[in-house]
Amino acid sequence: MIRLLLLLVSLLAAGAVGVRAQHLLDWSPEEIKAVGQHGPWPPPPARDPSNKVSDTAAGIALGEYLFNEPRLSGDGRMSCATCHQAGREWSDGLAKARGAVELDRRTPSLWNIGYLHWFGWDGAGDSLWAQSIRPLLDPREMNGGPTRAGELLRSDAALACGYERAFGNTPGTDDERLLVDTAKALAAFQATLVSPRTPFDDFRDALVAGDRESASRYPLAAQRGLKLFVGEANCSLCHLGPRFTSGEFGDIGIPFFVRPGEVDPGRHGGLVRLAASPFNLLGKYNDDASGNNTRRTRHVQRQHTNFGEFRVPGLRQVGRGGPYMHNGSLATLEDVIRHYSEVSPDRLHSDGIPLVRPLGLTAGQGADLVAFLRSLDAEPVARPSPAPLCP
Amino acid sequence: MRLAAALLGVFLAPPAWADCPLDLGRGTGWVVFSDQYLMAFRPDPLRIEVGEPFALAVSVCTRRGGPAELLAVDANMPEHRHGMNYRAAIVAKGDGRFRAEGLLFHMPGRWEITFDVRAGDDSERLTHDIILK
Repeated sequence: MIRLLLLLVSLLAAGAVGVRAQHLLDWSPEEIKAVGQHGPWPPPPARDPSNKVSDTAAGIALGEYLFNEPRLSGDGRMSCATCHQAGREWSDGLAKARGAVELDRRTPSLWNIGYLHWFGWDGAGDSLWAQSIRPLLDPREMNGGPTRAGELLRSDAALACGYERAFGNTPGTDDERLLVDTAKALAAFQATLVSPRTPFDDFRDALVAGDRESASRYPLAAQRGLKLFVGEANCSLCHLGPRFTSGEFGDIGIPFFVRPGEVDPGRHGGLVRLAASPFNLLGKYNDDASGNNTRRTRHVQRQHTNFGEFRVPGLRQVGRGGPYMHNGSLATLEDVIRHYSEVSPDRLHSDGIPLVRPLGLTAGQGADLVAFLRSLDAEPVARPSPAPLCP
Repeated sequence: MRLAAALLGVFLAPPAWADCPLDLGRGTGWVVFSDQYLMAFRPDPLRIEVGEPFALAVSVCTRRGGPAELLAVDANMPEHRHGMNYRAAIVAKGDGRFRAEGLLFHMPGRWEITFDVRAGDDSERLTHDIILK
């Protein structure tokens, strides 16, 4: 009887081990290395040397107030937070952004934006602060005009005090300088928006450390999707690194006609606007005297192939966002996977081995990729209300 | 005896290209050569990372030890038939030394770096492949 019980216990134990073992696929050293390149997470805080209030407590505090300040807009009703909503992954859930009018592109999420080098779907901004100026002035968005930020900083006692704490002097009479400083405070705040650790990060760390037991807690479907992502589907060619983006630009076969006879030029138009901007890093408002942060701006070249290219978005929190693509034309993650599975080669202008090709995924493979992408999501920690600027 | 001395002289005499400034310091870098040219280059920073700007320290001369000029540096991915999104600029440092600033590889894979070099009326394109992981 005792022998029978021992046999049963050992069989149950073996069964348990067997079940656990089934929860971890076989990962080759090359695959483990590829997965490891998507971490660790989170990275160190982002710091921008072109912005003297970047990563400073006073700059971040002022930036958070200004981010939620509707008086920066022309009609006093719209703030940055109108489109970049904390409860909607710092976007708005709309297919196309809505400012004073409906725009042609989707509101991009601000998660992890401080780590980028090019900003906006077309990369027209070479710093987060320069990019933050555009919606303040754009008549289609906040339509604030060039003097509104200065007038507000001078007339509001709390903001003036916050400005002095951040920049070391009271707001002066140079409205363009105050517009730039407003944008630099806004950038300091936005750079603190770092997405939380996710189930993928736990798996990645366990896999790299050889901790099979912890790694086996990651769902099998997500593991299969991840294998496709770094392997056969080659998604990590562009969605690389801990943020799952190269930060550069690509044409993935999304039509770029915005109206009959009118196209969105994408990166090509962005580079035209970058060169013309008085706020780019080659201008007088760059706080980094070394010039080390100007290399991309000095050497980037405008090419015909830039037409229809848009910035490769990061994928963290991607399942909680949407709609997808630069123009919000795909409603769900499933639609995105279907696009990559069925994209027409005729829409891809490639002479050599195409970077994007129809993957021809089975329904199961598509579901696995979605399961993996959803493992890049996590519930963010609620932000506390900001402390008074000058208590 | 004279023959022995002559042979010794042949073995001891340094080749003409020994004056080439191929030592880029820090004992690192690649050497590329053709029938006409010798060239050495080293990335700065030493490790090229996807998506990060880098420069190349380059030394170039002719096989006969004569001066040569670096005209241009570019890079492309032959499999995908696309180049960089950035254009490198060349700064001459004197004595056959040059610095190419502003390169950036935005994707992993095989990149072919091209070096256009010239000595007098003769010019040539040298290439070197780098696999970026």
